[in-house]
Amino acid sequence: MVDLKTTFAGIELRNPVVLASGTCGYGEELTPFIDLARLGGLVTKTITPEPRAGNPPPRVVETPAGMLNSIGLQNPGLEAFLSDKWPFLSRLDTRVIVNIAAPTAQLHGQMAARLEEAEGIAAIEVNISSPNMKDGGMVFGCSPTASAEVIASVRASTSRPVIAKLTPNVTDISAIARAVAEAGADGVSMINTLLGMAVDLPSRRPFLGNVTGGLSGPAIKPVALALVHKVRRSVDLPIMGLGGISNATDALEFIVAGATAVQVGTATFVEPAAADGIVEGIEEYCREEDVDRVESLVGTLRL
Amino acid sequence: MTGPLRTPVDGPARLRETVEVAAGFFLSRLEVPEAVLEVHPGQFLQLQPRPASLLSPYLRMPMSVAGVDAAEGTVDVLYDRVGQKTKVLSRLPEGETVGCLGPLGNQFPLPEEGTAVLVGGGIGLPPLLFLGRRLLQKGRDVRLLAGARSADRHLPEALLHPAAASVLRATDDGSLGHSGRVTDLLVPALEGAAAKPTVYTCGPHPMMASVARLCAGHGVRCFASLEEYMACGFGVCVGCVVRRAENGLDPYHRYSRVCVDGPVYDARTVEW
Repeated sequence: MVDLKTTFAGIELRNPVVLASGTCGYGEELTPFIDLARLGGLVTKTITPEPRAGNPPPRVVETPAGMLNSIGLQNPGLEAFLSDKWPFLSRLDTRVIVNIAAPTAQLHGQMAARLEEAEGIAAIEVNISSPNMKDGGMVFGCSPTASAEVIASVRASTSRPVIAKLTPNVTDISAIARAVAEAGADGVSMINTLLGMAVDLPSRRPFLGNVTGGLSGPAIKPVALALVHKVRRSVDLPIMGLGGISNATDALEFIVAGATAVQVGTATFVEPAAADGIVEGIEEYCREEDVDRVESLVGTLRL
Repeated sequence: MTGPLRTPVDGPARLRETVEVAAGFFLSRLEVPEAVLEVHPGQFLQLQPRPASLLSPYLRMPMSVAGVDAAEGTVDVLYDRVGQKTKVLSRLPEGETVGCLGPLGNQFPLPEEGTAVLVGGGIGLPPLLFLGRRLLQKGRDVRLLAGARSADRHLPEALLHPAAASVLRATDDGSLGHSGRVTDLLVPALEGAAAKPTVYTCGPHPMMASVARLCAGHGVRCFASLEEYMACGFGVCVGCVVRRAENGLDPYHRYSRVCVDGPVYDARTVEW
């Protein structure tokens, strides 16, 4: 019997496989395809203080072994999330992490304070990494100081574990990770999408309505692995690894490179039950390799 | 007169055959999981023609259903071989497995009475052919107006006639039927009718916009099946959106997800 239980930043997960923000909606859309109670948890689509329309279409385009998106955080806003989306999420037998973004550090804190009133939220993931916001996201996550201000504001306003979601679009991701650690983050999730662009040659126009977007899918996995490895070696914070994970082998590679848990994102678009198969595959690997506890694999990269 | 939507499933389909029905147009017949046979006109499937071990092309291929044969356990998809994925599907050997997620999306509302006018352009015809056959089975009067660039870009009559009591065709270059736009054929259909018909349209965006405008001008109900670039097909990515025409919506509801709120829209509710 393999023990898949994973403790990440004080959150006890059934197993290390979590659905990534922006790829599982608010849970409900996936219920025809996957039993969410079989997963470690899910991260909600980003919530902002006010409702957001998102970016003009086209918002998605396929690229080699991946895709670009420029959704732009279309979401109902914090209050409608609590009244319309949270009741379903709160009844799920899985850990629900709520992802937030806002235009100022102070507003991040105010959102976290309001979320204190909802029972059952496992953790707050702070989106300081979306490349599709002109008024937040990566705007903060590219600067150690701004990242720290946002995380400190959330830390001061919540009793729950705080996870900073990091962008790869920086010169030194370790500096950002250190800054959020000092500001009180309990863990990091990494990586958000890489800034990218597609050109439609016949019209010589950018393909996406927003011109640029975020690259995800198998194409970015090597980048994500290198960055997880880098942060693991330089900062003492648990890591939730993501970026192009589409099967159990990918997930195990992140765990070996130093991720305590993993998130499955774009793979769900292609195979809505992908995360379920990844849980099974991790268990099978552990059985075959005589690994009793999946946590014993974390950071076991041989250098 | 519409049925309840079946909860979608993700299962393997088996390719029974692929036929080139016109220059560059292919029809693939798939043996699908039982739930998929309950597909309604207007709904679509997310197909995955590549083996799981390959990573490119990565995303699935949204494909509207052109027909279903419940006794045979098959659905037909009809497509223009334009991209990588349609190339893969059109060349797949018979008997191969195709990933099949569906049925997805909403359905065409069927009229309780009166004539249905179907207006299709280019490769927008397949969902209308499925709708037309279903309406004929129910004893409705169905008229099909089909437009294409040229004669060789029209689907063969054998595919069109089972879907309508009358078929009129238009070509941009005048090589077949009416020389000009398919919307030229719609005007007399709207003006000459004793009772107001219901119009259904699918095709290039400018054509549908013009159909929607003509119908609005004649006070005729029009339902359009939209196409947008799509990633998931079941509502989680929020990629395939269309801007709603209604005023006074809060920002969250400004854009509608074509995959779950559509693909069929009352043409009055869409910003063209």
